[in-house]
Amino acid sequence: MSGRSLGIGLDVGSTTTKAVMVDSRGNILGSRVVPTGASGVGAAMRCLGELSRESGADTKNAPTISTGYGRSLIDFAEKSVTEITCHSIGVHHLNPSIRLLIDIGGQDSKVIRVGENGRPTDFELNDKCSAGTGRFLEVMARVLEVSIDELGPFALQSNSPCMISSTCTVFAESEVVGRIGAGESPKDIAAGVHAAMASKISTLSKRVGVVTPVCVTGGVALNPAFRYYLSKQLSAELWMPDNPQITGALGAALLALEP
Amino acid sequence: MTEMSSGKEEKAYRPLNTQDLLQGVLFRYVLEGNAASEEGRLAWVTSGFPVEIPVAMGITPTYPEQYGAVVGSQKVGPTVCGFAEEIGYSQELCSYARSSIGSTRKPELSPLEGLPKPQALLACNNICGTVLRWYDTISQMTGAPVFLLDTPPFEEEQQSHHLAYVRKGLDHLVEFLSSRFGVSLEEERLREVAANSSKAIGLWTKSLEACKNKPSPLNCADRFTTMAPVVTMRGAEHTIEFYQALYDEVRERVSQSVGAIRDERIRLLWDNIPPWFTIFRFFNGLAKRGVVFPADTYTHAWSGSLEGKDLFDSAATIYSNVYLNKGLQAKVDKMVELIKDYDLDGFVMFSVRSCKRYSLGQLVSKELVTEATGVPGVVIEGDMVDSRLFNEAQIQTRIDALLEMLE
Repeated sequence: MSGRSLGIGLDVGSTTTKAVMVDSRGNILGSRVVPTGASGVGAAMRCLGELSRESGADTKNAPTISTGYGRSLIDFAEKSVTEITCHSIGVHHLNPSIRLLIDIGGQDSKVIRVGENGRPTDFELNDKCSAGTGRFLEVMARVLEVSIDELGPFALQSNSPCMISSTCTVFAESEVVGRIGAGESPKDIAAGVHAAMASKISTLSKRVGVVTPVCVTGGVALNPAFRYYLSKQLSAELWMPDNPQITGALGAALLALEP
Repeated sequence: MTEMSSGKEEKAYRPLNTQDLLQGVLFRYVLEGNAASEEGRLAWVTSGFPVEIPVAMGITPTYPEQYGAVVGSQKVGPTVCGFAEEIGYSQELCSYARSSIGSTRKPELSPLEGLPKPQALLACNNICGTVLRWYDTISQMTGAPVFLLDTPPFEEEQQSHHLAYVRKGLDHLVEFLSSRFGVSLEEERLREVAANSSKAIGLWTKSLEACKNKPSPLNCADRFTTMAPVVTMRGAEHTIEFYQALYDEVRERVSQSVGAIRDERIRLLWDNIPPWFTIFRFFNGLAKRGVVFPADTYTHAWSGSLEGKDLFDSAATIYSNVYLNKGLQAKVDKMVELIKDYDLDGFVMFSVRSCKRYSLGQLVSKELVTEATGVPGVVIEGDMVDSRLFNEAQIQTRIDALLEMLE
C-alpha cells in the first residue's frame, strides 16, 4: 500500500472516541473504543496509550489522521478528514461490494453512497436534532428504565409494537411517558421506539437511494432491534462488520498510510 | 492543518476597490430615505417590486429586506428578532420580517435606528407570501397603508390572462400612489427611470458573466455586497456610475488574470441568501482552501430590464417571471444552466429556515441538478439573519465532505 509501516486513525465522536492501528497492508493491529466524556483529546490520548502498551508500537510518532466531530482538536494529527470519507473508506476496505452505508452515531446519522473506489459519491446527514441518533435511544432507555445495551433485546421480545408517532426526542419522550401512564407494555413501547427510529433512517436512506447489500455501522448498529426494524423497512438485508463502531477510525488509519 | 499567515504573504481573498464606493452609495441611500420620509414620500418596498413605477412618480423606496441584511451583518439578529418574538412572533417567522417588526418596535435599540417611517408599504408576492402579512403588521404599527401587487405563482409558461391580471395590478398601483401622494405618472419619466434601471442591470449582468472566466474575478461575498444598489436604487443615475466602476474593476481583473481569491482550485455554485452574520468569515475561510463561488442563484435574480413599446406589459412580464414565482423546475433549470455556463465543480444549497419559498424543494432539486450535470452538491441548514440556527460544526462537516469528494 505504501512505505509507511503503521497508520493510526482517531475518530473523536460525540459519545465515544475510537482508535484503530493498522499495518502497512491495512491489517488491524489493535483498536479501542472509550467514552469521549468532557475531553476529546483526553479520550484520544487514553486510546493511544492503551494501544501502545498492548502492541509496543510507538503510537506517538506514528502517522495519524483524525476524524469525527472532535477531529480538529487533535493537533498532532497530520490531517483531519470528515467521518463521511473515513467511514466510506473503512467499510470499503472490509467489504468492497458495499454501495450504501448507514452510520448511526451518538449525535448524527449519515447515509453515504460509496463509490467503486471506496470514496463517497453522495451523502445525507440527519437534521439538526437528535431524532434518529443514538441519543434518541439513550433517552428512551432511561425513560423505560432499561440499560442501553438491553434496550434492543428487550424490544425484540414484543409481538405488537406500539405506534410511536414522533421521532423528535423531546416529543417522543412525552409520548412514551404517556404510553407508560396508559398501562402499555414497556416491551411494546420499546419496539415502537425502534420502529419509529428505523422509519426516520429509512427515509433518509431512500433519499440517497437504497442499493443492496446495505451496510450499517456506528454504535447503534450493535442494537439488534434497530437492525431488525431497519431491515424490514428498507426491505433489504443488512451487512454489519464485526466491530461496527470503528469503521471511521479504520478509514482514517488507512488514509494515514498514504504519504 | 493550519494555514500559516506571514505578513508578506498575500491574503487568500482579494478585496474589491469598488467596496469603498459602495459605502458612499449606501450612505446616500440612507440619507435620501430619511429626507423622503420627512417630506412624506417614502415607501417601504419588497425586493421584487416593480420599483421603477413609484420612482418615476417621485416616491423614494426603502427596503426592509436589505435592512434585514444589515441587522444580520451587524450580528444583532437574535436581539432585533427578539424584539418581535417578545410580542408573540414565532421564531419560525422569516427573520427579515422579525428584524423589520422588531426594529419598528424598538428603533432606538436597532441598527441605524431602524428604517425611516414609511408613508406607504408596497408589497409584491412574487418572492414570497409572507411579505403581505409582514407589511400588514408594519401598517398596524406605523399607520402607512399597504398596496399588494398580486402575482400568483405559475408553472412553465405565463398565460395571457395571468399577464393581464398582473398588468391590471400595475394600473391599480398608479391609482394608489396618485391618491396617496397626490402625484401622477409621466410616461417620459418612466422611460427615463426604466432606461437607468436597464443600464445598471446591464452593467451588473456583465460583471456577473465575467465570472465565467478562470480565475473568477468575483466571489460570493463580493456579489452579495455589491448587489445592494441594483436592488435598492436601480432607477437612479448614480447607481449606473457605481456599476460602471465595478465592471471596470472586474474587466481589469480579467485582463490581468487576477482572481477574487489567490489560489482558485474548486469552483462552486451557491444557492439561496447567504448567512449575513458570517458572510466574509464563511466565504473567506473557504477561499483559503482554494474554493471560489463564481455564481449563485440569488444575485442572478436581478436581471430583467423594462423595455419595449409598452413598459407596463414589460414590467408585468418581468416581475411575475421571477423564478421563485415559478415551479421548482425553473430553479433547477437555472442551477443547471449556471453550473454549465460557469464550469462549476459542485454546489452548496443553503437551506434557510426563514425563507420557505427559496428553500422548499432543495432536497429534490439537489438530486435533479446532480442528475443533469453530474456534479455533486450538499445541503447545509441555517438562517440568513438568525445566527442561533447556524450550527458551524455540522455545516463544516458537510462542506468538508463535499470538498473531499471533489479533491
